[in-house]
Amino acid sequence: MTAVENPASQQEDSPTYRPSPVQRFLPFAIAAVVPFILGSTTENVNFWWKALITVVVLAVVARMAWVWTPRGELTHREDMRLWRTPSDRSWAAVTTFGLLVLPFILASDFTPPMDFPWATWFAVVNLVLIFAMGAAAFNLLVGYSGQISLAHVAFLALGSIVGGIVGVQWSGGNMWVALPAAALAGAVVGAISGLPALRLKHLYLLLATFGFHFVMMLVWREYLQEYFGFVGIRFKGENSPRIASWLHWLPGIDPDDNGEFIITGQFRWYWVLMPITVLSILFMVNVVRTREGRAFAAVRDRDVSASLLGINVARSKLLAFALSSAVVSMSGVLASFYIGSRGEDSFNVQTVLNYAIIIVVGGFSSIQGAIFGSAFFWFLPEWFKWAREELWIVRDIDFLSDYPSEIDLAIKGFLVVIILMFKPDGLAGLWKDVKGWIGRSLARRGP
Amino acid sequence: MSDEILSFENLTVQFGGVRACDAIDGHVKRGSLFALIGPNGAGKTTLVNAISGVYKPLPGAQVQFHPAGKPTEDLLSYRPFQIARLGVARTFQNLGLFMGENVLTNLLLGRYIHEHTRLIEGGLFTRRAVKRELAARQAIERVVDLLDLGSFKREPVGDLPYGVQKRVEFGRVLAMEPELLMLDEPMAGMSVDEKQDMIRYIYAAQDELDMTVFLIEHDMSVVMSIADHVMVLDFGQKIAEGTPVEMQQDERVIAAYLGTEMAEN
Repeated sequence: MTAVENPASQQEDSPTYRPSPVQRFLPFAIAAVVPFILGSTTENVNFWWKALITVVVLAVVARMAWVWTPRGELTHREDMRLWRTPSDRSWAAVTTFGLLVLPFILASDFTPPMDFPWATWFAVVNLVLIFAMGAAAFNLLVGYSGQISLAHVAFLALGSIVGGIVGVQWSGGNMWVALPAAALAGAVVGAISGLPALRLKHLYLLLATFGFHFVMMLVWREYLQEYFGFVGIRFKGENSPRIASWLHWLPGIDPDDNGEFIITGQFRWYWVLMPITVLSILFMVNVVRTREGRAFAAVRDRDVSASLLGINVARSKLLAFALSSAVVSMSGVLASFYIGSRGEDSFNVQTVLNYAIIIVVGGFSSIQGAIFGSAFFWFLPEWFKWAREELWIVRDIDFLSDYPSEIDLAIKGFLVVIILMFKPDGLAGLWKDVKGWIGRSLARRGP
Repeated sequence: MSDEILSFENLTVQFGGVRACDAIDGHVKRGSLFALIGPNGAGKTTLVNAISGVYKPLPGAQVQFHPAGKPTEDLLSYRPFQIARLGVARTFQNLGLFMGENVLTNLLLGRYIHEHTRLIEGGLFTRRAVKRELAARQAIERVVDLLDLGSFKREPVGDLPYGVQKRVEFGRVLAMEPELLMLDEPMAGMSVDEKQDMIRYIYAAQDELDMTVFLIEHDMSVVMSIADHVMVLDFGQKIAEGTPVEMQQDERVIAAYLGTEMAEN
């Protein structure tokens, strides 16, 4: 097999091949089952053995997904699949496996050398999940639909408010009711907050939506004074979300001594946050590749020619606002219950900028980029902290440990500038290059 | 009146003190190839913009669209996206493509008015959404084959050569399956070969897909060879109308194109 520059031409050149349905799903089935087997055998198995098995399974699954991919002239149905090329399928299988095996690795009692911050990582991973969901929705609106909005944090606050009313006050810690309620409220309020977009564009729209942020803060303050007396909303303790008793038969759910299954601790939270984040991101990806999502992109690029294709530009813009705000509000509910308490200072202007950094660094108008951006945003400070404390030479520089947060910010800012200068499409673009490079070098070596 | 698909009367568009179109009347026959010609700044694009709803003409104008088998519609009472849904599609002189998106997405956007997938259906990727998506892809298949766009499907439109971009835009309006197709200088900036191809495509659209074509064109030779009926504009005024042969001999048309002195010689 010769070096192939472009996966599309690879498909045309190669002979027609169709995997059987079993072959198509087998790699994903293995990737979904093996982590639970690894996770349930806790006793008497050395961590390193498990690590070895993990790596081997990863490689096998990646290879299987790669080989068992339809090749040759694709039918429409095959062409429409989310994971179409061998490399897409391979990475999808690896990601499935990784997402499922990660909590078991982080929850194990293995301690990495040099005090690498294993324990704090779990919390960071969960925060990345929450932020990835919010940032993906933000990116769908700002990057993909081109409606510059700064009302993002207002919808996190709306999520907390709905979580406070529906989840805490009405149902005493029922997050499952609060989530759809927040989605509904977010969609309605989001469409209203998008009304300025019908007349304004770019910077003017930015200012109008920023005004909405302060309106929401005003609501928050009033609400707090009325119901909670300026302290903030507590989502912890007796208000923690739990799994209802009629669901306790589910595998992996062992009620505590008092007969309740409270979602607490990083491990349990991971299994709540990960599926919700993955499903909502898949939802947005599906929207983007179907009719209304295409209309978002059309309105972003040229609204006049979009309207001459029969797209109701006003409706399309409001839909984008509603969808984005609904998902952001849901991520606000998750963040409230996960973090445990929310006050006025949880929703400052800084947070809007953080989300802006996330989507710009991750890759504008790429939903994948939002995930990379949030990982960048949350992991970097952890690495810096670790480097300051443990890494030789670096740990001896007093200056760095005297001004930790300032140095963190400076390095982060510097990295943002570097990424924007050399990779304007952000980490998602970088990832695409890396993927292409790996694919090419594999193709060169041959199967 | 049943053989007419579009009629406009007393159509005046004014920008400040400039009358870009001044009281223009016209009738387009169903199934014909109607050409609108005229020198630069004659008001050709403005006329099309007024018909497709982008510009509002002054009061007193009448634009009537007669879809086959349906009641006559007064286009002036609709917004642009509604006019598109009625079956009037148009292209742009300087391309109305979505440059960041690939060819497939651009063509699928042409099917927007025919698909009916809702946002939530699309997000959940329900069976029905998949079925409609497949139907849309099958519908553009024909356009892709007709215009030889198969090898560009996944390329971002912005990376393609100009001639191909023009073809993609033409493909997108064909995918809309309009009754009236308005093409704003589809051959501007093309090589002779590309022009020949485009003429072939326009014929195919007219014959196979049963569309009425309203063509704006600069190139007289092209218009003379393909049009059924020609209207000539100059400085916002209609100066002549008739068959291509009549127009070639019309003194006012020659004057408008070549200048009055040449015409006198």
